Amino acid sequence: MAAGGALIMTVVLRLARRRLLSTRYAIGWLAVGAMVALAAGIMPFVGRIGKLANMSPTAVLLAMSSVLLLVISVQLSISVSQLQERLRTTAEAHALLARRLDEVERRAE
Amino acid sequence: MPNDPLVVIPAFNEQDCIGEVVREVTAAGHDCLVVDDGSTDHTLAVARATGVPVLALPINLGVGGALRAGFRYAVDHGYSIVVQVDADGQHVASHVDELIAALADDGAHLDMVVGSRFSGGSDYDISRVRRWCIRLLSWVIARSGHVELTDPTSGFRAIRSPLLDAFAADFPHHYLGDTFEAILVSARRGYRIGEVPVVMRPRQGGRPSADVMALGQAMARACTILLTGTTFDLPSRAPVDDPPASADRS
Repeated sequence: MAAGGALIMTVVLRLARRRLLSTRYAIGWLAVGAMVALAAGIMPFVGRIGKLANMSPTAVLLAMSSVLLLVISVQLSISVSQLQERLRTTAEAHALLARRLDEVERRAE
Repeated sequence: MPNDPLVVIPAFNEQDCIGEVVREVTAAGHDCLVVDDGSTDHTLAVARATGVPVLALPINLGVGGALRAGFRYAVDHGYSIVVQVDADGQHVASHVDELIAALADDGAHLDMVVGSRFSGGSDYDISRVRRWCIRLLSWVIARSGHVELTDPTSGFRAIRSPLLDAFAADFPHHYLGDTFEAILVSARRGYRIGEVPVVMRPRQGGRPSADVMALGQAMARACTILLTGTTFDLPSRAPVDDPPASADRS
Protein backbone atom coordinates (compact mmCIF):
# COMPACT_ATOMS: atom_id res chain seq x y z
CA MET A 1 0.00 0.00 0.00
CA ALA A 2 2.64 2.48 1.09
CA ALA A 3 4.76 1.53 -1.92
CA GLY A 4 1.76 1.99 -4.21
CA GLY A 5 1.12 5.45 -2.82
CA ALA A 6 4.76 6.38 -3.26
CA LEU A 7 4.68 5.10 -6.84
CA ILE A 8 1.62 7.24 -7.68
CA MET A 9 3.28 10.31 -6.19
CA THR A 10 6.50 9.69 -8.14
CA VAL A 11 4.64 9.28 -11.43
CA VAL A 12 2.56 12.41 -10.79
CA LEU A 13 5.69 14.44 -10.01
CA ARG A 14 7.34 13.19 -13.21
CA LEU A 15 4.28 14.11 -15.29
CA ALA A 16 4.05 17.53 -13.68
CA ARG A 17 7.74 18.21 -14.31
CA ARG A 18 7.32 17.26 -17.99
CA ARG A 19 4.34 19.66 -18.21
CA LEU A 20 1.95 16.86 -19.13
CA LEU A 21 -0.06 17.58 -16.02
CA SER A 22 -0.97 21.08 -14.84
CA THR A 23 -0.14 22.04 -11.25
CA ARG A 24 -3.83 22.14 -10.43
CA TYR A 25 -4.33 18.45 -11.16
CA ALA A 26 -0.88 17.47 -9.90
CA ILE A 27 -1.88 18.65 -6.43
CA GLY A 28 -5.06 16.59 -6.54
CA TRP A 29 -3.28 13.45 -7.66
CA LEU A 30 -0.51 13.93 -5.13
CA ALA A 31 -3.22 14.02 -2.48
CA VAL A 32 -4.61 10.76 -3.87
CA GLY A 33 -1.13 9.21 -3.68
CA ALA A 34 -0.75 10.42 -0.12
CA MET A 35 -4.14 8.99 0.80
CA VAL A 36 -3.23 5.62 -0.67
CA ALA A 37 0.01 5.66 1.28
CA LEU A 38 -1.83 6.59 4.46
CA ALA A 39 -4.40 3.89 3.78
CA ALA A 40 -1.67 1.45 4.77
CA GLY A 41 -1.98 2.94 8.25
CA ILE A 42 -5.71 2.34 8.50
CA MET A 43 -5.54 -1.26 7.30
CA PRO A 44 -6.16 -2.63 10.84
CA PHE A 45 -9.36 -0.56 10.99
CA VAL A 46 -10.61 -1.85 7.65
CA GLY A 47 -11.17 -5.25 9.15
CA ARG A 48 -13.12 -3.73 12.04
CA ILE A 49 -15.27 -1.55 9.75
CA GLY A 50 -15.90 -4.68 7.71
CA LYS A 51 -17.13 -6.55 10.74
CA LEU A 52 -19.43 -3.66 11.72
CA ALA A 53 -20.90 -3.40 8.21
CA ASN A 54 -20.85 -7.17 7.71
CA MET A 55 -18.46 -6.81 4.74
CA SER A 56 -15.18 -8.49 3.98
CA PRO A 57 -12.10 -6.21 4.29
CA THR A 58 -11.64 -6.47 0.51
CA ALA A 59 -15.18 -5.18 -0.06
CA VAL A 60 -14.56 -2.26 2.30
CA LEU A 61 -11.41 -1.29 0.39
CA LEU A 62 -13.20 -1.62 -2.95
CA ALA A 63 -16.08 0.52 -1.74
CA MET A 64 -13.69 3.20 -0.48
CA SER A 65 -11.76 3.30 -3.73
CA SER A 66 -15.00 3.43 -5.77
CA VAL A 67 -16.10 6.51 -3.83
CA LEU A 68 -12.70 8.08 -4.41
CA LEU A 69 -12.89 7.39 -8.16
CA LEU A 70 -16.43 8.79 -8.27
CA VAL A 71 -15.33 12.04 -6.64
CA ILE A 72 -12.43 12.31 -9.08
CA SER A 73 -14.64 11.82 -12.15
CA VAL A 74 -17.19 14.35 -10.94
CA GLN A 75 -14.36 16.82 -10.50
CA LEU A 76 -13.14 16.09 -14.03
CA SER A 77 -16.66 16.55 -15.44
CA ILE A 78 -16.81 19.96 -13.79
CA SER A 79 -13.50 20.88 -15.40
CA VAL A 80 -14.69 19.67 -18.82
CA SER A 81 -17.88 21.74 -18.52
CA GLN A 82 -15.88 24.86 -17.72
CA LEU A 83 -13.56 24.17 -20.65
CA GLN A 84 -16.56 23.73 -22.97
CA GLU A 85 -17.91 27.13 -21.95
CA ARG A 86 -14.50 28.74 -22.48
CA LEU A 87 -14.08 27.04 -25.84
CA ARG A 88 -17.48 28.31 -26.89
CA THR A 89 -16.69 31.88 -25.90
CA THR A 90 -13.35 31.69 -27.70
CA ALA A 91 -14.95 30.30 -30.87
CA GLU A 92 -17.52 33.10 -30.91
CA ALA A 93 -14.84 35.76 -30.38
CA HIS A 94 -12.77 34.14 -33.14
CA ALA A 95 -15.67 34.40 -35.62
CA LEU A 96 -16.31 38.04 -34.73
CA LEU A 97 -12.63 38.93 -35.07
CA ALA A 98 -12.29 37.10 -38.40
CA ARG A 99 -15.22 39.12 -39.70
CA ARG A 100 -13.67 42.39 -38.51
CA LEU A 101 -10.36 41.47 -40.11
CA ASP A 102 -12.20 40.84 -43.39
CA GLU A 103 -13.76 44.30 -43.19
CA VAL A 104 -10.47 45.97 -42.39
CA GLU A 105 -8.69 44.18 -45.24
CA ARG A 106 -11.41 45.13 -47.70
CA ARG A 107 -11.20 48.76 -46.64
CA ALA A 108 -7.41 48.73 -46.98
CA GLU A 109 -7.52 47.48 -50.56
CA MET B 1 -27.33 54.86 -37.89
CA PRO B 2 -27.89 51.21 -38.61
CA ASN B 3 -31.00 50.14 -40.36
CA ASP B 4 -32.93 48.20 -37.68
CA PRO B 5 -33.65 45.35 -37.53
CA LEU B 6 -30.72 43.07 -38.21
CA VAL B 7 -31.97 39.68 -39.38
CA VAL B 8 -29.68 37.01 -37.92
CA ILE B 9 -29.71 33.61 -39.63
CA PRO B 10 -27.90 30.82 -37.76
CA ALA B 11 -27.03 28.11 -40.30
CA PHE B 12 -25.69 24.60 -39.84
CA ASN B 13 -25.38 22.47 -42.99
CA GLU B 14 -28.09 24.32 -44.91
CA GLN B 15 -26.34 24.72 -48.29
CA ASP B 16 -29.56 24.00 -50.22
CA CYS B 17 -31.69 26.65 -48.48
CA ILE B 18 -29.45 29.39 -47.14
CA GLY B 19 -29.01 31.25 -50.42
CA GLU B 20 -32.74 31.56 -51.06
CA VAL B 21 -33.45 32.58 -47.43
CA VAL B 22 -30.85 35.38 -47.60
CA ARG B 23 -32.21 36.59 -50.95
CA GLU B 24 -35.74 36.69 -49.54
CA VAL B 25 -34.67 38.68 -46.47
CA THR B 26 -32.57 41.21 -48.39
CA ALA B 27 -35.31 41.56 -51.02
CA ALA B 28 -37.62 42.57 -48.15
CA GLY B 29 -35.16 45.40 -47.43
CA HIS B 30 -33.64 44.10 -44.19
CA ASP B 31 -30.00 44.01 -43.12
CA CYS B 32 -28.92 40.42 -42.79
CA LEU B 33 -26.18 38.46 -41.01
CA VAL B 34 -25.51 34.76 -41.54
CA VAL B 35 -23.78 32.88 -38.72
CA ASP B 36 -22.30 29.67 -40.08
CA ASP B 37 -22.21 27.25 -37.16
CA GLY B 38 -19.21 25.19 -38.24
CA SER B 39 -21.00 23.60 -41.20
CA THR B 40 -19.29 20.69 -42.94
CA ASP B 41 -21.00 21.27 -46.29
CA HIS B 42 -20.87 24.34 -48.57
CA THR B 43 -23.09 26.55 -46.41
CA LEU B 44 -20.27 29.01 -45.75
CA ALA B 45 -19.37 29.41 -49.42
CA VAL B 46 -23.01 29.81 -50.46
CA ALA B 47 -23.61 32.37 -47.69
CA ARG B 48 -20.48 34.37 -48.62
CA ALA B 49 -21.52 34.37 -52.29
CA THR B 50 -24.73 36.25 -51.38
CA GLY B 51 -22.64 39.24 -50.32
CA VAL B 52 -24.18 39.74 -46.85
CA PRO B 53 -21.92 39.75 -43.77
CA VAL B 54 -21.09 36.24 -42.56
CA LEU B 55 -19.70 35.10 -39.22
CA ALA B 56 -17.91 31.76 -39.51
CA LEU B 57 -17.70 29.79 -36.26
CA PRO B 58 -14.64 27.51 -36.42
CA ILE B 59 -16.50 24.68 -34.65
CA ASN B 60 -20.14 23.67 -34.29
CA LEU B 61 -21.56 25.29 -31.15
CA GLY B 62 -25.30 24.78 -31.57
CA VAL B 63 -27.92 27.42 -32.29
CA GLY B 64 -27.33 29.26 -29.01
CA GLY B 65 -23.63 29.79 -29.72
CA ALA B 66 -24.35 31.03 -33.23
CA LEU B 67 -27.03 33.35 -31.86
CA ARG B 68 -24.87 34.83 -29.10
CA ALA B 69 -22.19 35.66 -31.68
CA GLY B 70 -24.93 37.20 -33.86
CA PHE B 71 -26.33 39.23 -30.95
CA ARG B 72 -22.82 40.45 -30.10
CA TYR B 73 -22.27 41.51 -33.73
CA ALA B 74 -25.60 43.35 -33.73
CA VAL B 75 -24.86 45.22 -30.49
CA ASP B 76 -21.32 46.11 -31.61
CA HIS B 77 -22.69 47.49 -34.87
CA GLY B 78 -25.29 49.64 -33.15
CA TYR B 79 -28.45 47.66 -33.90
CA SER B 80 -31.11 47.68 -31.21
CA ILE B 81 -33.40 45.03 -32.73
CA VAL B 82 -32.53 41.54 -33.96
CA VAL B 83 -34.89 39.20 -35.75
CA GLN B 84 -33.84 35.56 -35.67
CA VAL B 85 -34.79 33.57 -38.76
CA ASP B 86 -34.12 29.88 -39.44
CA ALA B 87 -31.87 28.98 -42.37
CA ASP B 88 -34.10 26.15 -43.61
CA GLY B 89 -36.67 28.40 -45.28
CA GLN B 90 -39.51 27.65 -42.85
CA HIS B 91 -39.95 31.30 -41.92
CA VAL B 92 -41.57 33.70 -44.34
CA ALA B 93 -39.60 36.95 -44.60
CA SER B 94 -42.74 39.06 -44.93
CA HIS B 95 -43.61 38.20 -41.33
CA VAL B 96 -40.49 40.02 -40.10
CA ASP B 97 -42.38 43.30 -40.38
CA GLU B 98 -45.21 41.91 -38.25
CA LEU B 99 -42.79 40.95 -35.47
CA ILE B 100 -41.23 44.42 -35.63
CA ALA B 101 -44.65 46.07 -35.56
CA ALA B 102 -45.51 44.15 -32.39
CA LEU B 103 -42.23 45.31 -30.80
CA ALA B 104 -42.89 48.89 -31.82
CA ASP B 105 -46.31 48.93 -30.15
CA ASP B 106 -45.75 51.54 -27.43
CA GLY B 107 -48.54 50.28 -25.20
CA ALA B 108 -47.16 46.79 -24.79
CA HIS B 109 -43.47 47.58 -24.12
CA LEU B 110 -42.46 44.18 -25.43
CA ASP B 111 -38.82 43.07 -25.29
CA MET B 112 -39.29 39.91 -27.33
CA VAL B 113 -41.91 38.83 -29.86
CA VAL B 114 -42.19 35.16 -30.82
CA GLY B 115 -43.67 34.08 -34.13
CA SER B 116 -46.11 31.30 -33.29
CA ARG B 117 -47.24 28.51 -35.58
CA PHE B 118 -50.15 27.63 -33.34
CA SER B 119 -51.88 30.87 -32.45
CA GLY B 120 -54.22 32.04 -35.15
CA GLY B 121 -55.16 30.38 -38.38
CA SER B 122 -52.00 28.50 -39.29
CA ASP B 123 -52.36 24.72 -39.25
CA TYR B 124 -48.77 23.62 -39.12
CA ASP B 125 -48.38 19.88 -39.49
CA ILE B 126 -46.48 18.39 -36.58
CA SER B 127 -46.34 15.01 -34.88
CA ARG B 128 -48.67 14.48 -31.95
CA VAL B 129 -45.79 13.73 -29.56
CA ARG B 130 -44.03 16.91 -30.51
CA ARG B 131 -47.17 18.97 -30.16
CA TRP B 132 -47.74 17.52 -26.71
CA CYS B 133 -44.17 18.32 -25.65
CA ILE B 134 -44.54 21.91 -26.82
CA ARG B 135 -47.81 22.21 -24.87
CA LEU B 136 -45.99 21.02 -21.77
CA LEU B 137 -43.24 23.61 -22.22
CA SER B 138 -45.90 26.32 -22.73
CA TRP B 139 -47.57 25.25 -19.53
CA VAL B 140 -44.30 25.48 -17.59
CA ILE B 141 -43.61 28.98 -18.97
CA ALA B 142 -47.15 30.10 -18.12
CA ARG B 143 -46.86 28.80 -14.55
CA SER B 144 -43.32 29.88 -13.81
CA GLY B 145 -42.88 32.92 -16.02
CA HIS B 146 -46.51 34.11 -16.13
CA VAL B 147 -46.52 34.50 -19.92
CA GLU B 148 -48.92 32.76 -22.26
CA LEU B 149 -47.01 31.53 -25.31
CA THR B 150 -48.35 28.87 -27.66
CA ASP B 151 -45.05 28.14 -29.42
CA PRO B 152 -42.10 28.60 -27.05
CA THR B 153 -39.73 26.52 -29.20
CA SER B 154 -40.19 28.72 -32.25
CA GLY B 155 -36.93 29.92 -33.78
CA PHE B 156 -38.60 32.95 -35.35
CA ARG B 157 -38.27 35.83 -32.91
CA ALA B 158 -37.63 39.55 -32.64
CA ILE B 159 -35.56 40.78 -29.68
CA ARG B 160 -34.77 44.37 -28.77
CA SER B 161 -32.48 46.22 -26.39
CA PRO B 162 -31.96 45.96 -23.43
CA LEU B 163 -32.80 42.24 -23.66
CA LEU B 164 -30.62 42.04 -26.79
CA ASP B 165 -27.60 43.39 -24.86
CA ALA B 166 -28.23 40.92 -22.05
CA PHE B 167 -28.39 38.03 -24.54
CA ALA B 168 -25.19 39.22 -26.22
CA ALA B 169 -23.45 38.87 -22.86
CA ASP B 170 -24.91 35.51 -21.84
CA PHE B 171 -27.04 33.06 -23.79
CA PRO B 172 -27.42 29.29 -23.33
CA HIS B 173 -26.17 27.10 -26.17
CA HIS B 174 -27.59 23.64 -25.52
CA TYR B 175 -30.67 22.35 -27.33
CA LEU B 176 -33.85 24.02 -25.97
CA GLY B 177 -31.64 26.46 -24.04
CA ASP B 178 -31.88 29.07 -26.78
CA THR B 179 -35.68 28.84 -26.92
CA PHE B 180 -37.45 27.46 -23.86
CA GLU B 181 -34.86 28.39 -21.24
CA ALA B 182 -34.10 31.81 -22.71
CA ILE B 183 -37.83 32.66 -22.64
CA LEU B 184 -38.26 31.28 -19.14
CA VAL B 185 -35.37 33.29 -17.69
CA SER B 186 -36.38 36.46 -19.56
CA ALA B 187 -39.95 36.20 -18.27
CA ARG B 188 -38.80 35.60 -14.70
CA ARG B 189 -36.51 38.62 -14.91
CA GLY B 190 -39.35 40.91 -15.87
CA TYR B 191 -38.82 41.18 -19.63
CA ARG B 192 -42.05 41.33 -21.58
CA ILE B 193 -42.70 38.70 -24.19
CA GLY B 194 -45.50 38.59 -26.71
CA GLU B 195 -46.37 36.49 -29.74
CA VAL B 196 -47.85 37.00 -33.16
CA PRO B 197 -49.34 34.29 -35.37
CA VAL B 198 -47.18 33.38 -38.36
CA VAL B 199 -47.46 30.87 -41.14
CA MET B 200 -44.49 28.55 -41.50
CA ARG B 201 -43.67 26.61 -44.60
CA PRO B 202 -42.48 23.05 -44.49
CA ARG B 203 -38.68 23.15 -44.51
CA GLN B 204 -37.29 23.75 -48.00
CA GLY B 205 -34.55 21.13 -47.86
CA GLY B 206 -32.15 19.30 -45.60
CA ARG B 207 -33.31 17.26 -42.63
CA PRO B 208 -35.24 18.36 -39.54
CA SER B 209 -32.97 18.90 -36.55
CA ALA B 210 -35.20 17.15 -34.04
CA ASP B 211 -36.01 13.47 -34.49
CA VAL B 212 -37.60 11.31 -31.80
CA MET B 213 -34.30 10.74 -30.00
CA ALA B 214 -33.53 14.44 -29.91
CA LEU B 215 -37.04 15.09 -28.68
CA GLY B 216 -36.61 12.69 -25.77
CA GLN B 217 -33.29 14.29 -25.00
CA ALA B 218 -34.92 17.70 -25.14
CA MET B 219 -37.62 16.71 -22.68
CA ALA B 220 -35.00 15.27 -20.35
CA ARG B 221 -33.15 18.55 -20.66
CA ALA B 222 -36.28 20.56 -19.91
CA CYS B 223 -36.90 18.47 -16.78
CA THR B 224 -33.27 18.97 -15.70
CA ILE B 225 -33.61 22.73 -16.15
CA LEU B 226 -36.67 22.68 -13.90
CA LEU B 227 -34.99 20.46 -11.30
CA THR B 228 -31.59 22.15 -11.12
CA GLY B 229 -32.56 25.68 -11.99
CA THR B 230 -31.68 27.55 -15.12
CA THR B 231 -28.14 27.42 -16.49
CA PHE B 232 -27.78 31.16 -17.08
CA ASP B 233 -29.16 34.38 -15.72
CA LEU B 234 -29.96 37.89 -16.89
CA PRO B 235 -29.99 41.27 -15.18
CA SER B 236 -33.54 42.21 -14.21
CA ARG B 237 -35.56 44.40 -16.52
CA ALA B 238 -35.69 48.04 -15.48
CA PRO B 239 -39.24 49.20 -14.75
CA VAL B 240 -40.97 50.25 -17.95
CA ASP B 241 -41.73 53.82 -16.86
CA ASP B 242 -38.06 54.66 -16.25
CA PRO B 243 -35.87 55.75 -19.12
CA PRO B 244 -34.01 52.69 -20.39
CA ALA B 245 -30.78 52.19 -18.45
CA SER B 246 -27.71 52.29 -20.63
CA ALA B 247 -26.00 48.92 -20.71
CA ASP B 248 -22.70 49.32 -18.88
CA ARG B 249 -19.88 47.51 -20.56
CA SER B 250 -16.31 48.07 -19.49
